Amino acid sequence: MTGGSRPGWFCAAALALALIFLVGPFFVVFIAGFSGEETLVFPPRSLSWRWMAHIFTVESFAASLRTSLVVAVVSTVAALLLGVPAAYVLVRRNFAGKELVRTLLTLPIIVPGIIVGLALLNYMVLVYDMPVTASLLVGHTAMLLPYTVRVVSGSLNNLRLDIEDAAVTLGATRLRAFWLVVVPNIRGGLISAAVLAFITSFNQVPVSLFLTGPGISTLPIEMLAYMETNYDPSIAALSTLMVLFTIIVVAGMERFFGFTRHV
Amino acid sequence: MPVWLLMPSLAFVAAFFVAPVAALLLGAFRLDGVWGFGHFSAFFAEPLNREVYWRTVRLAGLATLAAACIGYPAALAIVRLPARWRGLVTALVILPLMVSPIARTYAWIVLLGRNGLVNSLLVSSGSVQEPVPLLYTEAAVWLGLLQLMLPLMLVSLVSALENLPADVEHAARSLGATPLQAFFKVTLPLTQEGLVLGGTLVFTGCVTAYITPALLGGAKVLMLETLLYQKVNSGGDLPAASVIAVLLLLTTVAVNQLLRRASAARRTRLAPSGAVPKAAT
Amino acid sequence: MSYLRIAGLGVAYAKPRKGAAGNAVDALSLAVPQGQLVSLLGPSGCGKTTTMRAIAGLLAPAAGRIELAGQDITHLPAHKRDIGLVFQSYALFPHLSLFDNVAFGLRLRKMDAAELTRRTLEALTSVGLADYADRLPAQLSGGQQQRVALARALVIRPRLLLLDEPLSNLDARLRVEMRAELRRLQRESGITMLYVTHDQDEALSLSDRIVVMRDGRIEQDDTPAVLYNRPATPFVATFMGFENLFERARLPLAMNLPPAVTHVAWRAQAVAVQAPGHKGLQGTVQSRSYAGDRLEFWVQTAAGALRGVAPADAAPWGEGDAVSLAIDIGRAALIGDDRTIPST
Repeated sequence: MTGGSRPGWFCAAALALALIFLVGPFFVVFIAGFSGEETLVFPPRSLSWRWMAHIFTVESFAASLRTSLVVAVVSTVAALLLGVPAAYVLVRRNFAGKELVRTLLTLPIIVPGIIVGLALLNYMVLVYDMPVTASLLVGHTAMLLPYTVRVVSGSLNNLRLDIEDAAVTLGATRLRAFWLVVVPNIRGGLISAAVLAFITSFNQVPVSLFLTGPGISTLPIEMLAYMETNYDPSIAALSTLMVLFTIIVVAGMERFFGFTRHV
Repeated sequence: MPVWLLMPSLAFVAAFFVAPVAALLLGAFRLDGVWGFGHFSAFFAEPLNREVYWRTVRLAGLATLAAACIGYPAALAIVRLPARWRGLVTALVILPLMVSPIARTYAWIVLLGRNGLVNSLLVSSGSVQEPVPLLYTEAAVWLGLLQLMLPLMLVSLVSALENLPADVEHAARSLGATPLQAFFKVTLPLTQEGLVLGGTLVFTGCVTAYITPALLGGAKVLMLETLLYQKVNSGGDLPAASVIAVLLLLTTVAVNQLLRRASAARRTRLAPSGAVPKAAT
Repeated sequence: MSYLRIAGLGVAYAKPRKGAAGNAVDALSLAVPQGQLVSLLGPSGCGKTTTMRAIAGLLAPAAGRIELAGQDITHLPAHKRDIGLVFQSYALFPHLSLFDNVAFGLRLRKMDAAELTRRTLEALTSVGLADYADRLPAQLSGGQQQRVALARALVIRPRLLLLDEPLSNLDARLRVEMRAELRRLQRESGITMLYVTHDQDEALSLSDRIVVMRDGRIEQDDTPAVLYNRPATPFVATFMGFENLFERARLPLAMNLPPAVTHVAWRAQAVAVQAPGHKGLQGTVQSRSYAGDRLEFWVQTAAGALRGVAPADAAPWGEGDAVSLAIDIGRAALIGDDRTIPST
């Protein structure tokens, strides 16, 4: 794709603008996180570690971080356990109603999370007496399922069918063939799906909005709550840490597993 | 065998997703045990609700438009980058999608707040006496949405541009087209699917956004999802919330279908030879 | 006594195909004696691969019976059939070394480590790749991968070996070399082999018997010599390379034929192209092509178009020239409803 169909400078300028627009905010938050001020004065007149230190003392952050991590891990595992067999069948087999099944499994992406959260609250917690924690896990798992199905399907699609048949003719049952021959070759896809699901769950807000309360809350929800009554740079500090963490994880994933190829 | 492997996920989705959501949506159509649109008329009777709905669609549309206008030339620039820079730029575009929307949107609070960057500059330069309220305005929400959704448009367009048959632009130029003509007659029509996909992703993303309107719009600039939250939390008004849920879903599905039809209709007019229209397949 | 016996095999299409009624394989019966190599020969879509996959157990037949060494394996799960399969695309496990690829089947059979190593190295040596035991499949050429696939299937000493167009991805010269290799391996190991191919040269050179298939059914099941000289149907004649095929009513020359004959066929070699005016059919050259030791001609005559040959150094005729054709009646293949028609 070589150039010349539009003045090159115009496109380059648009790209520069887009990049500044996308990346600039991170620098802003980063600087604000190290602000020495009491409130969100920008640019800050002094820099300090105080807000970085402060966030570790906020009880609601610590507790909700634990909850967020647990929810993310459990729902990721659940989404993989449900999604991998489904992806296998969708890629390897043909049957009536296949497209319907595929649509059904990817439906949660189309439906706004807030609807899911509200629906679960009203019809699971209030009507069927399901504990809020369980509803939270279920809600997250449902939102993650389309991602695991899609990413694992992508990996399976790229894997040739005949090696499974070869394993079977050599004496392996279908299940052993899957374990010995398929899984090692879709490792990158599986791990990418897991990381994508984990990150999506961790950052998820709309689903969790209605499914949290005193004692059970996720970190993003607590951050929003904190912002309603506090106007200090704590959130900037916390956001900075979260961004750094995400960058490290994604960079590592890309380096070792070619993350962006799979998602 | 397919049945065994699919049962768990299908059962899960049916029981914990389809059933509750369907129940919620259906609830919007039942008034005192009678099926009807009573809740809908009640909802739209209130001026605030109408205003919020219209605002949501409007801001989503404006953000989509801006994303397309900035995104297309930016995508063109990306595909022409030498390989060295391509990887870095792609990472810079995709990375934000992995970062929490709170962190991304928070920057605007820092920039647009009473003591934020913009106000500091305005006050210190003497243009204004007092800090200007920039947050909790429609412009702030629009900016936040645009920033959040731009990567989606970029990714769709870059993918579409990469899938262009090689050398079509060169072919057009060799036949006498100017660069601008080649772009409008060849490149743009051939990448319209990417535009449609990107546009759909951005539009639905904006309509169903929660965090950005919550942080940048607050109670003054309500959007559909923040309105929904308010209705449930402060008002306990489930019927109104159900109505909003239906509206949200309808809007995203409708936009999806409409744009897909428009793209397919145009596509059948472009036969492989590019010139002669053929009957719709 | 047949070692592999198939009776009335029927396999449905996986997806219903527009315009093609019936089954992928229909009422197919054949028998393979132990220690022989039998080829399934036919154009793509004729059902040969489907038949093979049904024998291997990768497809469930809708009808029929499959017996191996007297045991009914029709409904036996694939992994218990002890039938090796060499795939067209080799199907080597990309994440395992050559050694682990070949040892795969042995490991599943819980063979003890020393014996396993010995057998695996022996198999790799027999295909000349023992030095590459630690390499990954991606590091090998097509021909080498092919040999590993073969070793992997042979090392488990299967009762039957199925080969699905194993040489079709190789270039021409390698193909010919590998053919000889395969023949040697088969003779030495004595393993019964069923070989699928669409290449008649391959089938002719490798097989003890050839089964020609078309549209899910068997057209002819015979030795290579019989198939080459006495095709039973027009389809088989064309497929085995008879360039000239005529219906009885439109023969280019008068022949005394038994009533059951419906078609007569000649190879181009049986039609000699000579200077015009000689005894025989008169015609005009449509095109000619050089084939090394001879020239091949397409000639248009009153009776239709014929393909003939002439020695490369004695055929000055070009396009548009008049020539005469001498057809050797003695080398005609008679095709008809009655299979006992003698040649001439």
